[in-house]
Amino acid sequence: MISVELLKQISRRSVWATLAVMALVPALLTAVIGITRPALAERVGNWGSVVTDSSGFTMPLIALNAMLLFLLPLAVAIFAAQAVADEAAWGSLRYLLIRPISRSRLLAVKAAVAAALSVGAVATASLSALAAGLLAFGWRPLTVLDLRHTTAFHLAVVTFPPGAAAGRLGLALVYVMALVASTFAFALLLSTLTARPFSAVAGAMGLGLVSRALDNVPGLHALGPWLPVTDAGTALWTSAFFQPVDLSGLPHAALLQALYTAVFLCAAWLRFARMDVLD
Amino acid sequence: MIRVELAKQLTRPRTYLTFLALTAFALALTVALSATGPGRVERVGDIPLLLVPRTSMFTLPLVALSSTMKFFLPLAVSVFAGEALAGEAAWGSLRYALARGASRSRFLGSKAAVAALFSIAAVVLVPVTAAAAGLVAYGWHPLPVADGSASTPLRLALVTFDQGQALGRLGLATAYVAAGMSSIFAFALFLSAVSSRPLVAVAGGVGLTILSRVLNVDYLPGVAVLNGYMPNNDVDLWQHLFQQPVQSAGMLHFLVLQAVYSAAFLALAWWWFLRKDVLE
Repeated sequence: MISVELLKQISRRSVWATLAVMALVPALLTAVIGITRPALAERVGNWGSVVTDSSGFTMPLIALNAMLLFLLPLAVAIFAAQAVADEAAWGSLRYLLIRPISRSRLLAVKAAVAAALSVGAVATASLSALAAGLLAFGWRPLTVLDLRHTTAFHLAVVTFPPGAAAGRLGLALVYVMALVASTFAFALLLSTLTARPFSAVAGAMGLGLVSRALDNVPGLHALGPWLPVTDAGTALWTSAFFQPVDLSGLPHAALLQALYTAVFLCAAWLRFARMDVLD
Repeated sequence: MIRVELAKQLTRPRTYLTFLALTAFALALTVALSATGPGRVERVGDIPLLLVPRTSMFTLPLVALSSTMKFFLPLAVSVFAGEALAGEAAWGSLRYALARGASRSRFLGSKAAVAALFSIAAVVLVPVTAAAAGLVAYGWHPLPVADGSASTPLRLALVTFDQGQALGRLGLATAYVAAGMSSIFAFALFLSAVSSRPLVAVAGGVGLTILSRVLNVDYLPGVAVLNGYMPNNDVDLWQHLFQQPVQSAGMLHFLVLQAVYSAAFLALAWWWFLRKDVLE
C-alpha cells in the first residue's frame, strides 16, 4: 500500500516542482556567491562563519542557513498538507476510503510517504548544495570560525578534513529533519481538518510565524525554550560544526519536537478516524 | 456609502476579535514584563535600545510596537484589507453589492477607505493600550533610554526624554509604523480583488512580509542590492527616533518606497476590479 501511495505522489507535478525548487535554490546560490563574492566570510547560524571559496563543504552550510528560515519548512508543509486535503479537494477521498482498509492505516501510509518526501526535500537541498559547492570550490578541508569563542587575542578556528566534514554534515541534517518535525505534524493535522491544501500549508507556515513572533517578544523569554519554532532552535544544527561538539541543546530540542509532533499526530489521527468524509 | 460599509464592518465579529487580540497582546506583555522582573534591562530592536520597563510608562509602548510590527500588525492589516472584496465574494454577496447604482471605483474606494481606517486603528491601538497599561503599572515618569550601539562597557550612552518629548516621539513612531504597513495593505487589497477566498489574500499579505524578511542579506548572501527596496525591511527604523541625536537617515527613503509600492498595488487592484467578471 505504501508503494501505491508513493507511486501516486511521485507521479505528481507539484511534488516534482517542489523538489526541483529545493535543488535549484542551492545551485543558484552557489552561482551568485561564486560570481559576486567568493572570498568573503559568510555568517552561518548565530555563531559560525565560513569563507565560501575555501572549500566545497561551505555551500551546504550556507544553503541550509538560508533555506531553513522559510523554504525547507514550506516544502515540508506542502508535502504534509497535501496528504489528506488534496484527496478531499479532488473529491477522491471517499472513494479511497471505500477500499477495505482501516482509516488508521490509510493515514499512516499517507503520513509515511509525506515524511519520506520531506526527508527527500531536505536531502535534495543539501546534496544539491554539496554538489554545486564541490564543483565550484573543490574537495578541500572545511574551516569554520567559531565567533562565540573568538576574542581579540584568540581565534577559535576548527578545520575538518573532507571526510569528517561530510560526517558532520550528516549529523547536521539529522538535526534539521528533527527541527521541521513539528511543522510537518501540524500541517498533517490541518490537512485532515480542511479540504483545501492551501489552507493547510498557510496554517502550518503560520505556526512557525506565530511561534517566532512570540519568541521575539521581550518579557516572554521564559516561553522561548518551549516554543516549536524559534530563532535559537533554527540555528541549533550549527553546533555540529564546533569543536568540541556542543550537543547540550540537542536532547531538549529533540524531546520538545517529539512532544509537539506526537500531540499533533495524535490529534490528526483522532480527527481522521472520526471525520465525516463528504468529499 | 462609506457609512454603510463602516456600519457593516463594525458589526462583524472578525473586526472585534482582531482588535481584542491586539489589546490582549499589549496587556499580556505588561503582565509578563511585570512578572518576569520589571527591573531587568530589555533589548529592543537591532540597535539595540536598552530599556528598564519599571522606569517609565513609555517603555511598554516601545516594546509592544517593536514586537508586533513584524508579524501581528501585518497580520491584522492583511485581515482587514484581504477581507474587503474577497469576503463579499466568498459570501456570494459581491454581485448584489455591485447591483446598486454606484460605480465600481466608488465601491472599491469606500471598501478601501474603511479597511484603511481599521488598519490604522489597529496600529494605534497597540501603543495606546500598552501606554495605558504602563501608566497603571509604572506611572508618569520621564523615559530613560540607553543607546546600545553607542555604549561601551565604560560609558553608557543614556538619554532621558521628559514626558512631552517621549509622547511626541512615540506619536511619530506610531505614525511611521502605520505608514510602513501601507504596502502590505495595498498588496492584500489587490489580492482581495483577484481572489474570491479571503484566506488567500490574508496569507498573501503576510507572505509579502516574509518574502521581505527572507530576501535579507542576513540569511541570503548576494541579495544586498535589493536590501533598500524591500517593502517591509525598514519598518523598524522608528527606533532611531529614540537615539540622541536622532538618526533619521533612511526613514524618508522608506516612506517614499511605501508610497510607490502602495500606489502600484492600489492601481493594480483598481485596474483589476474594474475589469473583473464578478461571478459570485
